[in-house]
Amino acid sequence: MNCKQFQEVLPYIIETGGNPEEEEHLRSCQACSDLVNELQYIAEQAKLLLPMHDPHPRVWSNVEQSLQREGLIREGRTPRLGHLAVITEAAPRRAWTPLGLGMATAAVLALAMVLVNFPARQPGVLQGSKGVSAAVQQPATQFEGEDKALLGEISQHRPEVSSAYQDSLGQINSYIADAQKAVDADPADANAHALLMDAYDQKAMLYEMGTVRSLD
Amino acid sequence: MRKANLTAVSCAILAMGAVALAADSHKSATFTIASGGVINIENPNGSVTLHSANGRQLSVNSTAYSDKIEVDSSATPDGKRVEVLTHALPDQKPTGEELKADYDISVPSGVSVVVTTTTASITVDSVSGDLSLSSDTGQITVRDADNAQLHIRSVTGPVSLVNLNRLHAEIMSTGGNVQLVRVSGPKVKVSSTSGNIGYQGDFAGGGAYSLVTHSGAINVLLAETASVDLSAHSVHGSVENDFPLSEKRHQVYVPTQGRSLVGTAHSGSSSVELRSFNGKIRVKKQ
Repeated sequence: MNCKQFQEVLPYIIETGGNPEEEEHLRSCQACSDLVNELQYIAEQAKLLLPMHDPHPRVWSNVEQSLQREGLIREGRTPRLGHLAVITEAAPRRAWTPLGLGMATAAVLALAMVLVNFPARQPGVLQGSKGVSAAVQQPATQFEGEDKALLGEISQHRPEVSSAYQDSLGQINSYIADAQKAVDADPADANAHALLMDAYDQKAMLYEMGTVRSLD
Repeated sequence: MRKANLTAVSCAILAMGAVALAADSHKSATFTIASGGVINIENPNGSVTLHSANGRQLSVNSTAYSDKIEVDSSATPDGKRVEVLTHALPDQKPTGEELKADYDISVPSGVSVVVTTTTASITVDSVSGDLSLSSDTGQITVRDADNAQLHIRSVTGPVSLVNLNRLHAEIMSTGGNVQLVRVSGPKVKVSSTSGNIGYQGDFAGGGAYSLVTHSGAINVLLAETASVDLSAHSVHGSVENDFPLSEKRHQVYVPTQGRSLVGTAHSGSSSVELRSFNGKIRVKKQ
């Protein structure tokens, strides 16, 4: 599956997840992973606009028809957002405020703009350091815990070097994983132990450089 | 009509020049720094150049390229610490480009120097002593020094060391290439995750040299006179050698053909360890 094919079915899988082939592509493609992150962010923000007020089904119907007209979704495969429009007769009818409706429309339009304008990049032509393996091209979303927090700090305080830290952290994590595997394979291998120690030294250095300057 | 146009263009050029000059802020300061004192330099973007100075006078020349920032220099009354740093003026939020400043600093001997930058390059010419140089993405160059203690940290910026004798050095770079030319000393350690490491020289001084990388290549161009006890090992990469080495009688581990190498040249006075996980290691005769 390439990026173009993935992005054609993106509206359906953004929240519900895709089939194994789609999920595999998402794991391996930083461009599509970034796109999904942006869409999820927009969807989350849209939900926050009026969390207690479901719109009238006609609103979703109009949105769906608009997206179909734009060719962004196909008939017969209802986007997840449409499921939110189920309202029982017994439920009190609550109307959207004009401001809320305007903001929600803006969020939907923003989502549509992202879908339309996001370049469908092919795998293998992503930006990155020369000679960096696929494993090293770790999307920001795959970092967890302290790594994620560190990258967040750097992104906030020194955005100009954010990608350098992200690439480096991915590379160091690969280094640690490789060296750990070598140690596990042969616990008596002094060379593997030395490499593992070096990998952790690298990570410590990156944390020190990233943390100290983010506190400035 | 044509003359009027020419005049207008000239005025515009002069005005632009005046604006550019107004934005540039040059400053000079001189301090007397005590022997064993410390100079702490922080300049995010632009450049930092250090030269050696005679006597105890430390001179700082700086150029800031935006009116949103300022370069401050100060010294403690006892002359044991000098600070030079670029900072934003109150209520200003300069962009990365607007944070740009160039420093040119003359450093007396026997002073410890700490330089921290984000993207600014760091160049050190003929300065000895204790040097701690750190940059995220800026190029770091150190040349022509004797008896320096060097600590270098870089995220992706390249590092270049040229003509350094009696060196104690620890260099760590995650993604930047590290190049050493005619560098020798009691202890030289280079570590990188994905950057390439190059060494050209003779590993002189009876020192301990260690070059380690995960996925980068290690290229050693060895002088014929080199006296080394050399070991090279790559877990998944390869090891190539065309330098004449004698087999060692006692070895810590049994070398694997194509992936490791152990041998000595001349009296084997310097210990040289080359380690890589995925990268290729090449040892060639200079």
